[in-house]
This record gives sequence, structure tokens and C-alpha cells, in this order.
Amino acid sequence: MASPCPTRALAYLRLHDELIGFPPKLEIDSFSGYRIYPAKGKLFVRGDSKIFRFASSKNSSLFLQRKNPRKIAWTQVYRRMHKKGITEEVAKKRSRRVVKHQRGIVGADLAAIAAKRNQTAAVRSQQRLAAIQKAKTEKKEKEAKKTKPSTRAPVTTAPKISKQQMKGGKGGR
Amino acid sequence: MIGLKGCLNVIDNSGALLVECVNVLKQKVNNGWGSVGDEIVCVVKQARPISEAAQASATAVKVRRGDVRRAVIVRTKKPVRRPDGRFIRFDDNAVVLLNNKREMLGTRIGGVVSADLRMKGWSKIVSLAPKVV
Repeated sequence: MASPCPTRALAYLRLHDELIGFPPKLEIDSFSGYRIYPAKGKLFVRGDSKIFRFASSKNSSLFLQRKNPRKIAWTQVYRRMHKKGITEEVAKKRSRRVVKHQRGIVGADLAAIAAKRNQTAAVRSQQRLAAIQKAKTEKKEKEAKKTKPSTRAPVTTAPKISKQQMKGGKGGR
Repeated sequence: MIGLKGCLNVIDNSGALLVECVNVLKQKVNNGWGSVGDEIVCVVKQARPISEAAQASATAVKVRRGDVRRAVIVRTKKPVRRPDGRFIRFDDNAVVLLNNKREMLGTRIGGVVSADLRMKGWSKIVSLAPKVV
């Protein structure tokens, strides 16, 4: 279909602006579901004041013959009913996915989590070694401390025994 | 396209039901075709029965069968072209009765009315109509 020449289009739009307003509202055909462009088609008001719009004489003729648009294969009603050409819409809907957002918890805020996650392997292994060494030194110190108190054991145990005696004495009587 | 012998429904509460066109009042052409917004002279063919009480009261003018009145066409089966290029067609032909001074006889209008009336100067009828298309 050829598009109207620019001057005619402008003249029409000016007239349309005056009468109806801009932008021109595109109606839809009551029979086929097509869009009705301005200055096209017919408007039929039935006895019960119901309005029917037709984009072309084809639509209006079929309507007046009392054909059911649900049975006419090229109408929008039929296509929707038989789900023709809707695959695009369905595909668009599926592409929605839920995006998970990392949140900080009490005790470990987002920065801490990120820092820990972003540590390189080398740094981590270094940390581990350091921790191991630290643990070893601590253990050694503990052992050293243990040996020291072992020399003082008889001194320390004496008061213990005395305490026990006291407790035992109490309990015995 | 209402002409001689054309039957039209009356959609106001003047009492008439069906009128027959006798003359189309148009300047220069006195017997052409009447369309929406044209005045016609018509004969009342069918009217609602008027009770005695209603006859006595003078609030609403009630017409009887055989009256010759004027009317304005408000709906036509023949499509009428709008300035935006659309064509509007109704399911029947309808009028609203008038007196000689172009005033409505009835007080209410029941039914759809064409918006072309506004352009021809019948704004009073348009304002009374329940629906204007």
C-alpha cells in the first residue's frame, strides 16, 4: 500500500488536529482486530447503541452476514484463540531471571566478605602458614610453661592436699 | 437519504412513534433528500394513546395521529461522512419533533443521536441526548 504524499498528509493532519486532536487515535476493527487508520473504514451504530468499527468493506460485509470472527482464520480473535504467532511473546517472558544480591550479615559486613573472597591463593596459604607457625610457637610455649609448673608440683600439690583434707575432714565428721 | 414517504422513528417523548416524511426543508431544493440535521415536514402515522388527564395538562405537548409537524433527522441508515473521513451509519432512521420555531416538542430524548447535529446547529438536542456518536 502506498503511503500518502507529504503535502496531503500534512493537510490531513492539520485538519485532524483541529477536529479531533493530536496524535490521531487508532481504532481497532470490531471484526478482525486490525488497526483503523484515520479517514478509513466505517462506523456502524446498531439499534442497541453498540458501536462497531470496520477497517474495510470486507470486515463490514462479513459482520453483516453475521459471520463469527472466531471461525474466520485471518482475524485476530481466531489467531489468539488458536495461539498463532504468539511464540515471540512467550519467549520474551521466559528470559526473566532472578538476580541474587550478596548481602552482609551481622558480624561480617559486605566489605569483609568481599575481602575474604578476593584473597589470592598465595595470600591465603601465607596466612595459613603464619597461623600454623603461630600455633606451633604457642604450643611450644605452653609445653615450656607446663614443664616449669611441673617442678613446682610438690609445692603446689601440698596446699591441694591440705585443701582436700579440709574438705574430707569436713565431710567425714 | 430521507425523502417523500420515508418512515422515521420518533425518539423523543412527544407521544408520536412513527412519522412519514412529506417534505424536506432545504434552501433552494425543496424536495431533495434529507440527511442528519435536516428539517423535514412530517405526518404522524403512529402515536401513543393520550389519556384524558394528560390532555388536560399543558406541560407537555402531545401529538396525535394525523398531525402535521416539523422534525429534525437525528439518525440515518445512509452513511454520513464526517470531516475526518469516517462514515457513520445507524441501524434506523430517527427524528425528533419540533414546532415551527425550531424548538423541541418533547422534553427527553431516548436513544443515540448523531454528532453531526452539533455541526448543523442543533446543540440543544445534542445536549439532551443520552448518547451522542
